[in-house]
Amino acid sequence: MKKRGTILVENIIFIILNLLFLSILALFLVKQGSGIILLEESYAKQVALLIDSAEPGMTLKINMDKAKKISDENGIDFGDVVKVNENIVTVKLSKDSSYSYAFFNNVEAGTPYPDKEFYILKIDTK
Amino acid sequence: MTDKIISVYWFAILIIVAGGIIAMVSLFYNSPYDVREVEAGILTNKIGDCFSDVGYLRQEVFDNANFLINEDNFLEKCDLNFNSTENELQYFSQVNVFRGSDLGNSFFEVVQGNKNLKADCSISKDYGKISKCFEKSFFTLDKSGNLYLIKILSVIDKSEKNVK
Repeated sequence: MKKRGTILVENIIFIILNLLFLSILALFLVKQGSGIILLEESYAKQVALLIDSAEPGMTLKINMDKAKKISDENGIDFGDVVKVNENIVTVKLSKDSSYSYAFFNNVEAGTPYPDKEFYILKIDTK
Repeated sequence: MTDKIISVYWFAILIIVAGGIIAMVSLFYNSPYDVREVEAGILTNKIGDCFSDVGYLRQEVFDNANFLINEDNFLEKCDLNFNSTENELQYFSQVNVFRGSDLGNSFFEVVQGNKNLKADCSISKDYGKISKCFEKSFFTLDKSGNLYLIKILSVIDKSEKNVK
């Protein structure tokens, strides 16, 4: 006795919908983890804590490849991503957002400059 | 017909699970990174380095049995800058020095920053919105070999930037 093929089609649709659903969920998780606001905050705090622990005469080399990728996508010059003004670090990865965090170490962090995917900070006495 | 009903239930379960995951992930990523404990630790170590170097009191802060540091020059002597993006002072530091022969009574004390923050150290650490405290104590010697105990307390507020 021949069986009709409708059950197979239903199963395929069911599997496709499940996969679609899981893909959307995975995409959401990936997007959440690599958000601009989150990266700006983590880079600003990371740089501020590094400056806090630094001694005059040190040179800090920070890997910011994720920041470079995102700033390039958003049309921001990589040289403008990290700014240090007095004792406040500001990280800007898009035209509409930026994040600032203060450090307490009274040192001169100079003008941070990029080197490929790295950022260089030279620490001097004030 | 039964299969279709099972499918509907299956999608309902998927939606509930996905809703839960989305809610948890959003809650996790929308909370800022709390770096205050690390920051308070660095501040405490920096103040420790300011008072003592390789086990001896620094000449810049202690000379002829007297401390040359006070509330007015504390920040300058220890190379600190307590300005921040917020209006109120977000830092507090307290240093107590005890003689080795009398560890019960502090003979020198210097405080700097927002004194109101110190009260937060006595509240449970589980309550995230309060300031973070870090305390450290160590022994050091002066040039004559006299022993001193230095206790340093650092408190950092910055709740706006670190807690939702």
